[in-house]
Amino acid sequence: MGVQDPTVVDDTPRVTAPGGMPSGPVPAPVSPGGGGLTGRGPLTIIEGSRRHWALRALGVVAVVAVLLLASQAQAFRVGQFTNVFIIAIAIVGLNLVTGHTGLLSIGHSAFFGLGAYTTGVLVARYDAAPMTTIPVAVVLSFVLGLLVGLPSLRIKGLYLALVTLTVGVSFPEIIRRAEELTGGAAGLVVRSASLAPPAWTGLGRAQRGIWMFWVSAAVLLLVMWLSRNLVRSRFGLGMRSTRDHEIAAAASGVRVARTKILAFGVSGAITGLAGSLFTMYIGALSPDGSFTLLKSIELVTGLVLGGIATQLGPVVGAVAVVFLPQLTGAFSTGPLSGVVFGVVLIAIVFVMPEGIVGRIGLWVRRRVAVVPADRPGLAADTTAAPPPAPPPHSNTHNRWEDQ
Amino acid sequence: MLGANGAGKTTTMQAIAGLMSWRGSIELDGRPLPRRPEQVVRSGVSLVPQGRGTLGALTVLENLRVGAAVRTDAAGVSADIDRWCEVFPVLGRRSRQTAGTLSGGEQQMLAVARALMSRPRLLLCDEPSLGLAPIVVQELFATLARINETDGTAMLIVEQNAELAMDLASTVYLLDVGTIAASGTPADFRADDAVRTAYLGY
Amino acid sequence: MDLFLERLISGLTNGSIYALLALALVVVFRGTGTLNFAQGELALFTTFVAWWLTTQSLPIWFAIAAALGVGFIMGALIERLLIRPVAKRNDMAVLIVALGLFTGLNSLAGLLWGSETKIMPSPFPNGESDFISIGGARLYGDALGVWGALIGLMGLMTLLFRFTKVGLHMRAVADNATSATLAGVRTSRILAIGWGLSGAIGALAGVLVTPLAPQQLSLTTMFSIFIAASAAALFGGLDSLVGAVVGGLVIGVLEAMLTGYVSVIGGSLQQTSALLIIVVILFAKPTGLFGTTKLVRV
Repeated sequence: MGVQDPTVVDDTPRVTAPGGMPSGPVPAPVSPGGGGLTGRGPLTIIEGSRRHWALRALGVVAVVAVLLLASQAQAFRVGQFTNVFIIAIAIVGLNLVTGHTGLLSIGHSAFFGLGAYTTGVLVARYDAAPMTTIPVAVVLSFVLGLLVGLPSLRIKGLYLALVTLTVGVSFPEIIRRAEELTGGAAGLVVRSASLAPPAWTGLGRAQRGIWMFWVSAAVLLLVMWLSRNLVRSRFGLGMRSTRDHEIAAAASGVRVARTKILAFGVSGAITGLAGSLFTMYIGALSPDGSFTLLKSIELVTGLVLGGIATQLGPVVGAVAVVFLPQLTGAFSTGPLSGVVFGVVLIAIVFVMPEGIVGRIGLWVRRRVAVVPADRPGLAADTTAAPPPAPPPHSNTHNRWEDQ
Repeated sequence: MLGANGAGKTTTMQAIAGLMSWRGSIELDGRPLPRRPEQVVRSGVSLVPQGRGTLGALTVLENLRVGAAVRTDAAGVSADIDRWCEVFPVLGRRSRQTAGTLSGGEQQMLAVARALMSRPRLLLCDEPSLGLAPIVVQELFATLARINETDGTAMLIVEQNAELAMDLASTVYLLDVGTIAASGTPADFRADDAVRTAYLGY
Repeated sequence: MDLFLERLISGLTNGSIYALLALALVVVFRGTGTLNFAQGELALFTTFVAWWLTTQSLPIWFAIAAALGVGFIMGALIERLLIRPVAKRNDMAVLIVALGLFTGLNSLAGLLWGSETKIMPSPFPNGESDFISIGGARLYGDALGVWGALIGLMGLMTLLFRFTKVGLHMRAVADNATSATLAGVRTSRILAIGWGLSGAIGALAGVLVTPLAPQQLSLTTMFSIFIAASAAALFGGLDSLVGAVVGGLVIGVLEAMLTGYVSVIGGSLQQTSALLIIVVILFAKPTGLFGTTKLVRV
C-alpha cells in the first residue's frame, strides 16, 4: 500500500532543493518540481519552513480549542473526556511495548492497577497529597515493568504474552489478598476531601472534575511528547529494530534483552501513571472493577483500533473504547461490551490491520510529504528520518504531528 | 536440468509442485497441472525437495506411510513399503528409527522412497546429490536409473554435477536466468563445444 | 496421612482437568504454532451448551456428546475462518484474534445464558455416599470419573496418533507442514481437524470440571483452569502430549499441597502460584521440560 511512499518522500527534496536550503525561513516552499509536473504528486512541505510552522501552530490552536470546548461540556461529559485521556495515557504506555517493540502485553491492567492502588493507598491510608503520589506510582510501575520484562532475557513472543497474561490475572488476586492495605475485595474508597484540587489552583472541592480534566489532558500531551521523542531516539530505533527483526537487530549491536526490559519498564511506568490519575478521577477502587483482564483487553483493543505504533492511535483508540460500549447501549462492564470488543478486535485485524490512525496516515502521506530542509546536513534534532526498513505503519508517526 | 546458481531451477521445481503461485501453464501429458501441492501429488507428480524435507520426528516407516497420503489401497501401500525397503536396504534396517537420526545419505534415500510412495508418473528431484559423499551419490543415481527402467517413472532431476547428470539423463535442459538456454541429448551437449565451455565449464 | 491422601486425590483430580485442557492447547500448538488464548473460553461456551441441553431435560450423556460435537465444529470453523487467513501475516495478528475470541466467547455466553451461576449435573455418581475409602481418605465417584476420562482420552489419542492415517498426518504436519503437503497431505484439512479436536477436548474438560469446581458453571469458571492448563502445557514445552499430562498432574498436586500446607497461599492465590510456576519453568528451561528445541534458520 504505502510502501512506495518513503521513496517519494526521499526523492522529492533532491529535485526541489538541490542546493541544500538553509534551515531558516524559506519563501513559499510548496510543491514545485515533481508535484507540478505530474499534477498529483504529494504536497511537499519542508521541515522548519514557514508553512510547516504555520501547520504546527494550527495544530496547537486546534488542540487547545478542542480542549477548551470540551471543558465547557456538562459535568458528566467532562468526566467521560477525562476518562478518555486517562485511557489514552495507558494506551500510550502499552503502545511502547506492544506497538513499537512488538511484544504483545495482556497484563497492562496490572500496571494500571498498581499505579491506581499506589495513589489510592498513599492518599487514603497515609494522607499523602494526591499529586505527590504520582512519582511513587510511576517508579513502582516502572519496577514492575522491569520485572515483567525480565523473562524476555530467555523467552520470546508467545511465552512472554503468557507471562503478561498471568501478571494481569494475578494482580486482582493479590489486591484481594492484601486486605489490610488495599481493602481487599470490598474495595478502597478515597475520601473526596483528600482528592480536592491543590489550594494554589483556587479551585474548590466541587471542581475536582474540571481539575482532573486539565491535569489528565496535560499529562496526556506530555506523555505523547515523551513517547514520540523516545521512539525517535537511539533507544527507540533499538525498540523498532527488535520488533522488525530481532536477530538482525542483535547482530547489529542492539542489546535486545535490555531493550525489551527497559521498554517494558517505561511502558509500565506510563500506564501506571494513568492508573494514578484514574484514582484521583474516580475516587474508589475495587480489584474486580477496573483492573481485571478485561481492562487489558480494552487497552489492546484501543491500541489496535487506533493504530499500532502510531502517535495519535492511542487517543483515537481511547475515544473508541470509552464511547463504543455506550453506543451499543450497554454499560462498560456488561456482556455486550465484551462481545463488541471481541468482534471489533477480530474485525480490525481483518479489514484494517493498520488501525484508524494508521489508515488515515497512509492516506495523508500520499498527499502531503514533510521533508527535512537540508538533507545532507541533518541536524541532531531531525534524526528522526525514516529508519532503515520499518513496515509502512511505523513511519507514520514521524510525520503525523502536523495533522 | 542444469544451470548456474540462481538460474531458476529450484523455482521451476517449486512451481511445478505447487509451492508457489505462477502464471502461464504447466502441463503433464497435455493436461494442466493443478496449483495446490497435494493436488499436484494426486495428479502423479512428486517432488523430493532440496534439503530432503524428511519428517524428523517420525519413524522411517511412518515417513513412507505419509508418502502414501493420496492413496487408499492399503494392501498396495504395504507392498510398496516392503518393496522400497528392499530397494533401499538401509531403510529396511532402520525402519523403526526416527528419520532425524539417519545420516544425510540415508535421509535422501528416505526422501526419494517417500516421494515414490505416491506412485508418481513424474518424480522431481531437486539436487539429490547435495551434501552427499560421491559413492552414495553414485548408488542413489544407479537406483534412480533402475526405477526409471523398471517402472517407467519419468524423472526431472536438478543437478549441479553436470557430468553425473548427463550419465543418467536422456534429455538435458540448460537453464539460464529463467529460460531454457539449450536442450538436447547428453551426446549433443558433449559435442557442442560452445555450450560446454560457456555453461558446463570444461 | 488421610488428609495428605485426600489432598493428593483432589490434586490429581484438578490436575487431570488441567491436563485435559493442556492437551487441547498442545494439539493446537503442534499444528498452528500458536497458543490459543481462547481455548478456555471455547470450553466454557461449549459447557454452557451442554448445561443448556440438560435444562431441556435431555440426558447428561447426550448433552456431553453434543458439547463435544459443538466444540469440534467451532474449533474447526475458528481455524478455517479466523486463524488461517491471518496466520501467515504474523504472530501478533493471531494472538489478537485469539484475544478477541477470548473476550467475545465469554461475553457471548453471558449474553445468551446470563451471568448467574448454573448448576451442572455430573455424569458420574457424586452423592455423599458415592466413595470408596483408601487409607482413610475418600475417593469420590466423580474424581474417579475424571481420572478415567483422562486415561481414556490419552488412550484414544495414542490410538489416533499411532494407528490412524489422520493421526499420522497430524504428526506429519506438526513436524514439517511443507514436507507433509509435498507428500500429498491435505494440510489445511488437517489443521482444521486439529483445532476441532482440541475444541472437543476442551469441551470434555469443561463438562467434567464444572460439577467439581467451587464456582460451578459461571463465566469465570474456565479462566483459572486455562491459566493452570497453560502452565501445564508450558511445562511440557507446548508440543509434548505426555509433557502436558505430566505437567497438569504436577501442577494440580502442587497446588493442592501448597494451598493445603502453606497458609500464605491459602486458596486465594492459586493463579498467582500458577504464574510463579510458569515463570520458574520458563527461566529454568525456555522450551519446557519435555519440549523439543527447534533450530531456526534465518
